[in-house]
Amino acid sequence: MFLDDMPEPQRSALLDHLMPDLGETPCVGGPPLARRRIALVTTAALHGFRDPPFVPGRAEYRVIPDDMDMGALVTSHVSTNIDRIGILNDIDTVFPIHRLRELVAAGAVGATAPRHYSFMGATPPMAYAELIAEVADEMKRDRVEGIVLAPV
Amino acid sequence: MCGLAHYLERHGLPTVAIALIGKHAAAMRPPRALAVPFELGRPLGAPNAPEFQRRVLGDALRLLARTDGPILETFPDAPPAPAELPPWTPPIAPARTEAASGDDAAIAAAAAAEIAQLRPSYERWVSAGGRRLDRITGKAPEEIVALILAFTRDPAMASPMAGYPAHLAVKFAADDLKHFYYEAALARPARVTDLEMDDWFFARTLAGGLIVRLRDVLLKSDDERVRSFAATSFVRAR
Repeated sequence: MFLDDMPEPQRSALLDHLMPDLGETPCVGGPPLARRRIALVTTAALHGFRDPPFVPGRAEYRVIPDDMDMGALVTSHVSTNIDRIGILNDIDTVFPIHRLRELVAAGAVGATAPRHYSFMGATPPMAYAELIAEVADEMKRDRVEGIVLAPV
Repeated sequence: MCGLAHYLERHGLPTVAIALIGKHAAAMRPPRALAVPFELGRPLGAPNAPEFQRRVLGDALRLLARTDGPILETFPDAPPAPAELPPWTPPIAPARTEAASGDDAAIAAAAAAEIAQLRPSYERWVSAGGRRLDRITGKAPEEIVALILAFTRDPAMASPMAGYPAHLAVKFAADDLKHFYYEAALARPARVTDLEMDDWFFARTLAGGLIVRLRDVLLKSDDERVRSFAATSFVRAR
């Protein structure tokens, strides 16, 4: 559903939701894209169907190994507003792993990271502050030099 | 999403966030964001549109080269129109309302019959490689119906999933059941939206009606958190 098609008061409630002020964060540089290793981060609560589902409000994440069978991905996002039809028809609608691989194959991007990460949106971002240190350490070990974050 | 971008970048990792609600990205000022004029839930634009999705991803990735943040660019194009497909029609006749008003055994039997009607379509979806979102709990649709009936009768029952409260476990089960129906309903290629599918499932199927009843039972919980969860997590607000 397009935002403009959403009925009131849901549309205004979503649009006017008070966002936390995290200030500004200086941009980190890096090598040309064709030499970067890119990880994907999704907030669609995706995970393998054998992984434990997400718990609303709990700051947690799941790893999506780059070499996993992407056909095994499910979502345990609790929101009723998530567009299930897009996900059922094409996982790249929310998690562009195949598009990223195509850009790597074309030489536009250096490589895909060995691990990607999934969160469940709607958890207050401040709850992630400490957990992100752990994710960042893992990404650095994987020599990630660029992250694309896709919402849902 | 934008918060995660702030935190990851502060740990020395370059980020770019795709933003479905540009106003939120403007307020949160992540280091780099690409606002996209797409439907909510579709950050890459549309399913089965690889060329368009590649453009979106490429535009986001190109922002990584810039360090003059906070950067907020807007993707210029609307998603491509859906493929020319016939309009969607429900795969089964609407459930008879009296089917939901008998005792639990009668409801379970009627639900089993409904599930049996859908199973050939569901198997066609699966054998064609369709995604299976219906496997969070590992329970068959008939087992989920039994679980929902049991929970509706006794909301204080023990959780069927270790480590998860009962209301969340039945939510996952309800989603598995819903997704079984959606997958069966998508087996024949047709043009359908998430809203149309929701309307069919919740208003025209016995399984959807059971989930509405489940939601209504949870809305009477003594626990305010459970009531709040029930109000937003089972049936889309319309």
